[in-house]
Amino acid sequence: MKTLMKTFRTVTAVAALCLATATAVQAQDYKVAFIARAQADSFAAWLANGIMEEAKKYPDIKVDVMDAQADDAKENAFIENSVANKYDLIIVQPNNGEAQRPYVEQAVKDGVKVITTNARIKDIPGSSSVDADPYEQAAVNARLALTQIPQDANVVVLNGPSGNMHADMRRDAWQKEFFDKRSDVKIVGEQIAHWNKEEAMRYMEDWVQANEKIDAIVSMNDNMAAGALEVIKDDPKFDKILAYGVDGTAEAMLLIQSGRMTSTALQNAYDLAEKNMSVAHDLLTGKITQIDTDIDCPLVTKDNVAKFIEIHKKSGAIK
Amino acid sequence: MSNLITREKWQTIKSRYSIYLVLIAMIIVCNSLNENFLSPRNISNISAQISVTTILAFGETILIICGLLDLSCGSVLALAGVLSVYAFKETGSLTVAFAVGLLVGVLCNFINGLLVRRFNIPAFIATLAMMTVARGCALLFTKGQNIYQIGDYVWFGQGKIGFIPLPVFFMIIVGILTWYILGHTSFGRSLYAVGGNEEAARASGINVGRIKIGAYLINGAFVGLAGILLMARTNVGAPNSGQGYEFEALTAAIIGGTSFSGGLGTAGGTLAGAFIVGFLNNIMNLTGVDSYLQQVIKGAIIALAVGYDMWAKVNRTRKSLSAVRSPDERKEAKG
Repeated sequence: MKTLMKTFRTVTAVAALCLATATAVQAQDYKVAFIARAQADSFAAWLANGIMEEAKKYPDIKVDVMDAQADDAKENAFIENSVANKYDLIIVQPNNGEAQRPYVEQAVKDGVKVITTNARIKDIPGSSSVDADPYEQAAVNARLALTQIPQDANVVVLNGPSGNMHADMRRDAWQKEFFDKRSDVKIVGEQIAHWNKEEAMRYMEDWVQANEKIDAIVSMNDNMAAGALEVIKDDPKFDKILAYGVDGTAEAMLLIQSGRMTSTALQNAYDLAEKNMSVAHDLLTGKITQIDTDIDCPLVTKDNVAKFIEIHKKSGAIK
Repeated sequence: MSNLITREKWQTIKSRYSIYLVLIAMIIVCNSLNENFLSPRNISNISAQISVTTILAFGETILIICGLLDLSCGSVLALAGVLSVYAFKETGSLTVAFAVGLLVGVLCNFINGLLVRRFNIPAFIATLAMMTVARGCALLFTKGQNIYQIGDYVWFGQGKIGFIPLPVFFMIIVGILTWYILGHTSFGRSLYAVGGNEEAARASGINVGRIKIGAYLINGAFVGLAGILLMARTNVGAPNSGQGYEFEALTAAIIGGTSFSGGLGTAGGTLAGAFIVGFLNNIMNLTGVDSYLQQVIKGAIIALAVGYDMWAKVNRTRKSLSAVRSPDERKEAKG
């Protein structure tokens, strides 16, 4: 009798589990994989959190986040695994666009819908993309700097890692929109600080030693600009220094608000997440078959920073 | 005769203090390349810039001497740092924040020590595992986001005692502590014995397991402190900070003459090694050397410095052996 009861209980438990799983699967018709470049990268983490948040608005979509840990091999393996595990759509945030290109092409050939984002991988027929234009992000700052940086100024430049599309295109925008037009401006220091605040601090400490006068900091992201500003924050000699970044991080917003940083271009991960999920839904439901779209990259200065600070209050980064 | 003594003395100095000679040579060259190089502000900058990795390097020196190493220090530093920042934001107390940072470093390294001692896992593997776990915990805790607005916490990294930046002050304290432990305590002597020959150390009554755990605990306190200083210096609780710092720390220790096979190394040597790397980075920035070229030059000069140090030491060993040989043996060796 005891054995019979035990068997009955086990069968009931297994049946309940199967029923629950089936209900869950039925409620979420589409499986989406978001392959994040590296969740140790604060922007990528912000985007991943944004996508998970946004996914709650789509009950027919289940999103799984995968972390490629800034490794091409891992990112490519995740793309292959997602195809093998029959995901309906993959959102790829490339670590290195060209390294991921053949895997994305193969996924498209295998019939999986693919969106590439931050940065897009161009010219893959059948795939879609959602991005912010890296050239424009830097260009809006450079155009403002044209009118602000004084004649015969000394500037220092902080670059992102070489070969990174966003790093290269932002630098290219500064060259074309500013340096080519202002031959009077002298670059007294230029280094790759790998988007890293501490590394930027080290460079700035040395540049301050080597140069009597630095009029502006041109940085390819906010983190490095904040590092350079950290070095000179108590030095009255650099009271009037101008500093330009890109990304619109919480720290940059606070620096702009306090008047220590000049401007940044906002790359809003929430906007990016919202657009990615809406494009994903439209692709999955057949509303569209392909799209390449960009989010805006508004210029943030002291005049309009207050409204952008609200975005970071929402994420909890600013209390 | 007096010439001979002077030459012999010079040979001894050259072989025993070769890494310091490299450092002095570097100072002379750097000073001739840039007039600002020896300015107090520049020296203070360099010292502050290398302080975090040098504190880590002192911990690595203690471990390597004992035949161990720590690959997790960069990740544990990040975990200790963000938890310390968080503790400060929650309590507003610098003391609590400081204690939390140290405690996290010590706890993680206690686990490293246990894995090595109780389960006989090689230090390389145990600390590699901790590297992943600690980084994951830091990211999990912060959801990958930086912690901003850290207020007075920056004092640890940007404050000064007199004219000495606080990170440099801590680096000096940790350096003195390492020098004292290694050279003036029985624990320090046991570290050398265990690293030199573990079996012989065990046979002579040294509790090898306890020494290894002790080495990890000291390293843990240093790593925790480094985490606090880095977050405070950069004015942000960044869970992704400290990546690759384990290799910078190992580089400083190895350049400073710490032998990877264990049983050899000094606090002074490690400090010299850290300054050699710091001077190199600094002079290349001051003179505007291209970013890519910097990496090539840095690698080449590190290889040269260590090569010279090794050559000087091998010469010294050869001369010592030759001195204890009988005249017949010497003839044989020559013949």
